[in-house]
Amino acid sequence: MIKITLAGVNHKTAPVEIRERIAYPKESLSSAVQALARQDSVLECLLLSTCNRVEILTITSNIHPSPDFFTDFLSKTHPALTSVPLRPHLYYKTDSEAVEHLFQVTASLDSMVVGEPQITGQVKESFEICRKENSVGPYLNQIFQRAVSSAKRVRSETAISHLPVSISYAACQLARKIFQDMSNKSVLLLGGGEMAQLTARHMKKMGVRSLTLMTRDPAKGEPLAAEYEATYAPMSRLDDILSEADMVVCSTGAETYLLTVPIMESAMERRGYRPLFLIDIAVPRNIDPEISRLSNTFLYNIDDLRSVVLSNQKEREMETFAAKEIVRQEVAQFEKWRAERSAVPLIQALRQHTEEIRLAELDRFSRTLDTLPDEARKQVLLLTQSLMNKMLHPTYQTLRNSSNIDEAWEWITRCYGLPPEILSRNGSHEDTSPKEREGKSVLDSPLSDLPLPGEQTC
Amino acid sequence: MTISPLELLLLEMASGFYLGAFILYLSEILLSRPPRIPWAPVTAGVGGVLFQSLAIFIRFGFQGHVALLSLREVLSFFSWSLVLTFLYLEHQKKVRILGLFIFGIAFFSTLMVIGISFRAPVLSSGAPIGLLLSIHTLLIDLGLASAALAFMVSVLYLVLDHFLRRKIFNRFFARIPSLETLDQLNNNFSGIGFVFLTAGLFFAMIWSLEKFGRTLPLASQGRLAFIGAILVWLLYAMTVLVRRNRRFRGKQAAYLSISGFLVFAATMLVLAFFSKGSHFIL
Repeated sequence: MIKITLAGVNHKTAPVEIRERIAYPKESLSSAVQALARQDSVLECLLLSTCNRVEILTITSNIHPSPDFFTDFLSKTHPALTSVPLRPHLYYKTDSEAVEHLFQVTASLDSMVVGEPQITGQVKESFEICRKENSVGPYLNQIFQRAVSSAKRVRSETAISHLPVSISYAACQLARKIFQDMSNKSVLLLGGGEMAQLTARHMKKMGVRSLTLMTRDPAKGEPLAAEYEATYAPMSRLDDILSEADMVVCSTGAETYLLTVPIMESAMERRGYRPLFLIDIAVPRNIDPEISRLSNTFLYNIDDLRSVVLSNQKEREMETFAAKEIVRQEVAQFEKWRAERSAVPLIQALRQHTEEIRLAELDRFSRTLDTLPDEARKQVLLLTQSLMNKMLHPTYQTLRNSSNIDEAWEWITRCYGLPPEILSRNGSHEDTSPKEREGKSVLDSPLSDLPLPGEQTC
Repeated sequence: MTISPLELLLLEMASGFYLGAFILYLSEILLSRPPRIPWAPVTAGVGGVLFQSLAIFIRFGFQGHVALLSLREVLSFFSWSLVLTFLYLEHQKKVRILGLFIFGIAFFSTLMVIGISFRAPVLSSGAPIGLLLSIHTLLIDLGLASAALAFMVSVLYLVLDHFLRRKIFNRFFARIPSLETLDQLNNNFSGIGFVFLTAGLFFAMIWSLEKFGRTLPLASQGRLAFIGAILVWLLYAMTVLVRRNRRFRGKQAAYLSISGFLVFAATMLVLAFFSKGSHFIL
């Protein structure tokens, strides 16, 4: 029976000091996958390494690798970690729990910022590396497909990814509530702080028409403006540019208000009272809060944006309940597929055993059968075959739907008295190892394609 | 003259579809997550508008003219034109939230249409219904529908403006389109409403000239209609002209559209209740 095991270390179980040492750099991930795939019991494996997590998923036959297997592997592939006890930071999950965890990771439900989209891409990248290293077989392939599909469903069926949870992104999303089309909007960046740069980056992505950067020191401002493909303007042109800008992002180190009510009143008149979105992320603030009383001006300071982010985070957490339900549905689908697949060798063994019995019985009655005319003998042969198939068909169906294939295996062996050699001939488990598979294995075919006798006549 | 069973059945079907669309739009807001079948409410709306179109077609055929002479006809045509405009708008601008209001209004309007006992249209002159009068009623009803749409987007504008200023970020906030979109829609609907209203009044004056030899009515009920119409027209003219002044953008324009629709609707109701059959009847 195939065993799925997952072990890992993430931002919830280990501090950054451990995570930064345990993470695999991109260039060494392939060799780590190769090393893992070389382990004796491992049939298939996946290694996921990001700044927040390192996870190892293995497919083995009959036995789950112990947690020590994973800590040993991590220690061996990270010599600097030998002195660090990894076991307390390691989580260890098996079978459907392991699959559910990977699905949740892929759907960004286990991320530091729930709903962030990067993790799905990182899982895809890791899978690609493992595929190139030939450590992916039918099981991992199925797990990966379903993980991506559940991530897609979570994104499309819940609002988890629709609510921005970074301050700069929240500012951009708010802009969309004021302006319909960003392609004809111009943005003024007052000061070149880190947050303003991030906001500028988002604004560029949103496709704003123009960005103007204004700093007190041209030596600082001009290179920054060039970096963001913005136009640099000196502070002396503030009045002119205010009358043209649709959004103003303030993040200077000024101790006083740069934008006051009289300045804004005159600017609003010159700009024909078009709506103006003001974002003040400077501390101390650069924009007089009284400005928010002016018609068609919308002022947000750092605390307001933080409250947007907090409210969105809460909404996202609410959405995780629905998202986890989607993941559970996908896990159930995978388990169904797995049960069907696990039943194949047993069904084949049972079929072979009963066929041997049938042939032996026909042989015992061969003298009598030989006396029959050819047509009648053929009918008798067909009759025995049909009887066998009809009687075994419900058993095959039950095996395919069985949730515990180990139990079913034992039960079938006892009921039908399957000899051990027939089991070993058919394999007591499915060998999914990509290392050993040659050409197209029977396990690569969909279950419906397998020539099961019950399906031919029933 | 009573409502035909087929027309009644079609109206009932239409109101059922409108109710379905309303519930679907409401659930989109309450459930907060993206709809599983996003086309379902629009499809329900299309179903409703098809049944109502048939009902209106039968009504016009039954009467032999296209004039809207009773409150039930005015309401039916009003809700039909609202839904039709919304379906076009939804296709163009994706203003889904408007569907909640439009289908709510359409449902209650068709319910009222079904509920109102039908009486034969009577004109004080007893004259046959001419083309001019038919055009006048249709244009005024289309003007009312445009004013109602301007009213709805204006209310949404004020709500969003309030949310943005008070930093309220709820599910409803997330569903409202941008202020710029709403302001643009308000501008468009107010303009269209003004054109319909002006043209409607123009046809009424020509009809009056043709019928009575003068453009201004003499009878007291006619005068009431005339004063109401002039009031509405002036308010709408002000809305359109004032928008040219750059100070009256957004919020101010929204207030003007809201008051414009209220005066328009009040005039129609006053006419319906107090004109005693000289204009259109209940």
